[in-house]
Amino acid sequence: MESPESASEVVAAKALGKRFGRRWALAHVDLVVRPGEAVLLAGANGSGKTTLLRLIAGLGQPTTGSLRIFGRDPGEERLGCRRRLSLVSHENYLYPPLTALETLRLWARLAGLALGDEELVRLLAEVELADRRDHRVGGFSAGMRKRLTLLRTRLEEPGLILLDEPLSALDAAGRTLVERWIGGFVAAGRTVIMASHAVERMSRVAHRGVLLDRGQVAWSGPAGEIPGRLEGHR
Amino acid sequence: MTFLRQALAILRKDLLIEWRGRSRLFSVLLFGVVTLLLFSFAVGPDGGALEENASGFLVLALLLSSTLALSESFRLEQEQRAIEGLLLVPVDPVALYYGKVTGNTLFLFLLGPLLMPIALGLYGVPAGPETLLRLLGVWGLAAAGLSAPGSLYAAMTSRLQSRDVLLPILLFPLLVPVLVAAVKAIDLLLSGDPMGQLRDWLLLLVAFDLIYWALCGILFPQAVEER
Amino acid sequence: MTLRRIPWEHWFGGAGLALLLIGSYIGLFVAPPERYMGEVQRIMYVHLPCAWVSMVCFTAAFASAIGSLWTGGKKWDGALVGAIEAGVVLNVLLLIQGIVWGRATWWEGTDKWWTWDVRLTTSLLMCLLFAGVLALRAFVEDRERKASWSAVATIVAYVDVPLVYFCVRWMRSLHQPQSSPETVSSLMVTPLRINSFAVLFIAIWFIARRARIELMRRQMDEVPLPRRLTPQESAGG
Repeated sequence: MESPESASEVVAAKALGKRFGRRWALAHVDLVVRPGEAVLLAGANGSGKTTLLRLIAGLGQPTTGSLRIFGRDPGEERLGCRRRLSLVSHENYLYPPLTALETLRLWARLAGLALGDEELVRLLAEVELADRRDHRVGGFSAGMRKRLTLLRTRLEEPGLILLDEPLSALDAAGRTLVERWIGGFVAAGRTVIMASHAVERMSRVAHRGVLLDRGQVAWSGPAGEIPGRLEGHR
Repeated sequence: MTFLRQALAILRKDLLIEWRGRSRLFSVLLFGVVTLLLFSFAVGPDGGALEENASGFLVLALLLSSTLALSESFRLEQEQRAIEGLLLVPVDPVALYYGKVTGNTLFLFLLGPLLMPIALGLYGVPAGPETLLRLLGVWGLAAAGLSAPGSLYAAMTSRLQSRDVLLPILLFPLLVPVLVAAVKAIDLLLSGDPMGQLRDWLLLLVAFDLIYWALCGILFPQAVEER
Repeated sequence: MTLRRIPWEHWFGGAGLALLLIGSYIGLFVAPPERYMGEVQRIMYVHLPCAWVSMVCFTAAFASAIGSLWTGGKKWDGALVGAIEAGVVLNVLLLIQGIVWGRATWWEGTDKWWTWDVRLTTSLLMCLLFAGVLALRAFVEDRERKASWSAVATIVAYVDVPLVYFCVRWMRSLHQPQSSPETVSSLMVTPLRINSFAVLFIAIWFIARRARIELMRRQMDEVPLPRRLTPQESAGG
């Protein structure tokens, strides 16, 4: 069931606001993301980047305004929306007692993907974890955990990919890898929304930049201008 | 189909994690044994009193060990917010619940065959293998009853600072029917059932299981999804 | 100065207190003493109303919980917490009255302070069940989560009540016949009826006040949307 607007708008937020207790984490957010776009969310800590990504993933409901993902309400049709998106957040979503391969198997099985171990190991090789396939996740470094979690975006091939600080904890090779992936996602016509402090790097792979300030959209324009914008106001 | 597949995948994951952390089962078991011993010390070495209350002490020891096991089963889900990762896959929260509750029931049930012989030996209650099997049947019903609301409440309290206090506070009054029914049923199995009351107590257990397996499955999404 | 409109629940409160005075007067001075238990039995005129109304309160909490989960409305949570608190308070009162009654009649001259009577025991467990919901609330900060979790816990607790009742009943086969206005003389029925409505009205008063407080706390959190940042103020300007 796809409404006609879903073809042209992956994310459509109108006057979106989210209040936690007495604090407005987001306010007056109007944002439209079209298919195949790569959007970079920038802004200081606490500017609402994570909250926005979580709302899009249906983790929490907006206090004000409306939000449509592929033309659907993520609060009402949680499963339907989540099936078409993937979120990599600060949390790694890992079970320390499981090995890397078992973790991937679990995710694949839950998503109903018929992937054999061979394919899963090939995925692990992409993030240079193939030789660690049978090591428990609990013994992994932060960077290795992040790499493993990033594979979630590769498993299901969702139409919308949400990345919250995708570069954090990664080494130089890992960061290059993520950049390459994002390029691949965009080339494949998938939509990417990422929040990052590494604006210099990420603005190279993003089409559009959105600057958040105290929960509001302060500026929106070509991604290349973001570093300059932030620089001017430091 | 998706529902069943996801519930089974969750169950499989939990069993694997339990197997990896065998020491957990061991420590919960040890806790049960210590509790059984404490009852004997509290009542005194006089065999009569112990034998008379064997069923009550046994079920109490199982119940106390169970809360440990239940809160532990959601600790890993919260530690790296793995449960959120499951919901995002997306896993249907109801399937998630039934996977977890089945795993918890199996784990709690496993305490039975390990603790029962110890309790019966310790308290000097004679029981043949056939009686032991029946006792395990009763314990199976009780374990299913414990873990249904137990998994729901553990999912909620595992996010809170004071989970260790809160879970028993919420769970123990709720479980009184399970406790009483299991104690009475075990009592009747051990010392004979001249009035034919066993059926009623088993029915109460079954009713509790059915009601709470259905109800908590419906309510679970409210407990884990953000508002 | 204009007269402030009196909130509707105060009418219930006033009527409840007045009825309680009237009912208790009739119960204490007009109604005849009971044949077997004598003067002490007059405690029944507050004991039974407390028992009935506490059950009504828990049922109201259950209904509010369903409403809260079903609609997601914010007003339900206030009614829920009010009803549970009123129910728990009445339940504690009825337990104390039950003990006083028992001390003065059946256990007179003994050291007994408690009996595992079906209704008394069920009340005690009910009290603990719903006090648990209040304990859970105390530890949850986020209001939305507080509302949905208390609703879940209330439903789970309420469904347990009949199971607890049957369990205690089968555990203790000895119990008194259910007391209801039909089994006592008509002069005793009148104060019982009056006091039942009195306690009910007072409970409604309390619940409504409590719901209002909860609503006001919510409104305190409802800080208005911050005004839109102008381009000059914001980081991107």
